[in-house]
Amino acid sequence: MIEFKNLTKIYEPNIVVLDNINLEIKKGEFVSLVGLSGAGKSTMMKMLTKEEKPTKGKVLIDKIDVDSIEGKEIPYFRRTIGTVYQDYKLLTAKTAYENVAFAMEVSDATKDDIAKDVPQILSIVGLADKSGNFPSQLSGGEKQRLAIARALIHRPKILLADEPTGNLDLVNSFDVVKLLLKINELGTTVILATHDTNIVNTIGRRVVSMDKGKIVKDQLENGRYVI
Amino acid sequence: MIQTFKNVIGRGWTNFKRNRYLSLAATGVMSLSLILFLGLLSLQYVSTESIASLENKVDVSVYFKTDAPEDQILGVKSDLLAQADVLSVNYVSRDQALADFKARHSQDAMIEESLSLLDDNPLGASLDVKAKEFSQYASIADFLNNDKYKSIIEQVNFEENKGVIDSIANISNSIRNWGLTATFLLALIAVLVTFNTVRLTIFNQKQEIEIMRLVGASNWHIRGPYLMEGGFYGLFAAIISLVIFYPIVYLVSGKVSNFVEQVNLIQYFTDGALEVVLLTVFLGVALGVISSFIAIRKHLKV
Repeated sequence: MIEFKNLTKIYEPNIVVLDNINLEIKKGEFVSLVGLSGAGKSTMMKMLTKEEKPTKGKVLIDKIDVDSIEGKEIPYFRRTIGTVYQDYKLLTAKTAYENVAFAMEVSDATKDDIAKDVPQILSIVGLADKSGNFPSQLSGGEKQRLAIARALIHRPKILLADEPTGNLDLVNSFDVVKLLLKINELGTTVILATHDTNIVNTIGRRVVSMDKGKIVKDQLENGRYVI
Repeated sequence: MIQTFKNVIGRGWTNFKRNRYLSLAATGVMSLSLILFLGLLSLQYVSTESIASLENKVDVSVYFKTDAPEDQILGVKSDLLAQADVLSVNYVSRDQALADFKARHSQDAMIEESLSLLDDNPLGASLDVKAKEFSQYASIADFLNNDKYKSIIEQVNFEENKGVIDSIANISNSIRNWGLTATFLLALIAVLVTFNTVRLTIFNQKQEIEIMRLVGASNWHIRGPYLMEGGFYGLFAAIISLVIFYPIVYLVSGKVSNFVEQVNLIQYFTDGALEVVLLTVFLGVALGVISSFIAIRKHLKV
């Protein structure tokens, strides 16, 4: 379970990015975080991976205060959270296979495990036949699916998707969303930050609306894009 | 563990190959730094040897009165040898001095003639004293100026030599000090330039580092390949600098020997070849690894 407790983030001198956020996300939930650019969605995501520190308040994952995780524990902690970004963040000099394998190599996986898991995850995201392609030889949708494959390789409890459809056309966007829903069905908690109205309305799950660093609406079921 | 180490070496080597131009630049800069270091090593050797050869030529001579009894002179000799700072004392008897003098001027008829006119040997006996350390000549001269010996000693030529001794001491001190300062400064510049080049190569791979952090790579996993890459720069730079340096030494050695006979650069560097190679490789690798270590620190901040 994820809990944001009285979470405030202020950048010096006094730019308030998050203003006293209180939110609970249950295990296995699919939450869409919506709002205009600058509403604070990405900052909230970054709090979960400890890329940002709270100015006040706490972020708890399974009752553990994220802020209390120490330096050398952070990489292990990050392996329990998958992240997907608008700009994919793929390594351009590596093939699709190598991009995913790379995430396993850095966590000391054996060659055998890599040879077994990577093709499996690539086929889940529908890229089994593109494993030898470089990112430049993939379409936008394929790139994002590859990024999702990489995010899933450590079998994370939580998947954070920050504007994953921002660079994609409608058809590819829906492909990515379908994939996220499928991952959620398999038990992973998914948090999707987006400002794409169509997508949010189609998903029809919990929708948390943000504006100027505050939560302005929380629709627990069948949510729609409202600010 | 072994697998991890293999991965680290493999990734370091891949980075080195893929960033060909930056690797070339970093290796080039480090080669120059190492050649500079080897050059300073030669300079240090040449200056030390030159000073030593100059110092060897200096001694203190004590001239005794012509009527000084030989047993007293030998007494002074044994007194001198009892001193801790005296290396050797060479006794030149009156007869020996005359024989040497005649031998030196055997071509000069006038001197021969003048000598034959004299009834007695006009030359006194002398002692040539060498000190263990160059700086000890002054105290030896003081010792000889003791009242005890005044009656038999004609002259201690330290005062005449003092100017030469002082200026050699000055030169050798300033060569040592300035050499050390220059070595230190140049080494500092070399480290800064190398560090900056490595920093650029790492900056170029900023995105890769960010992605590694994103997928949960530990700091050592991220750092390892870059340290290895820095090590490769150093290793290749060491090889390049040695390949350039040795032929230069071979060419220059003869010319340097013309100036100072005792200096044999090529022999010095071939006798100590193993040490020189190991030291250069060690320095190169250390320079590369340390530069990478510092350069990557910035990107690892959480």
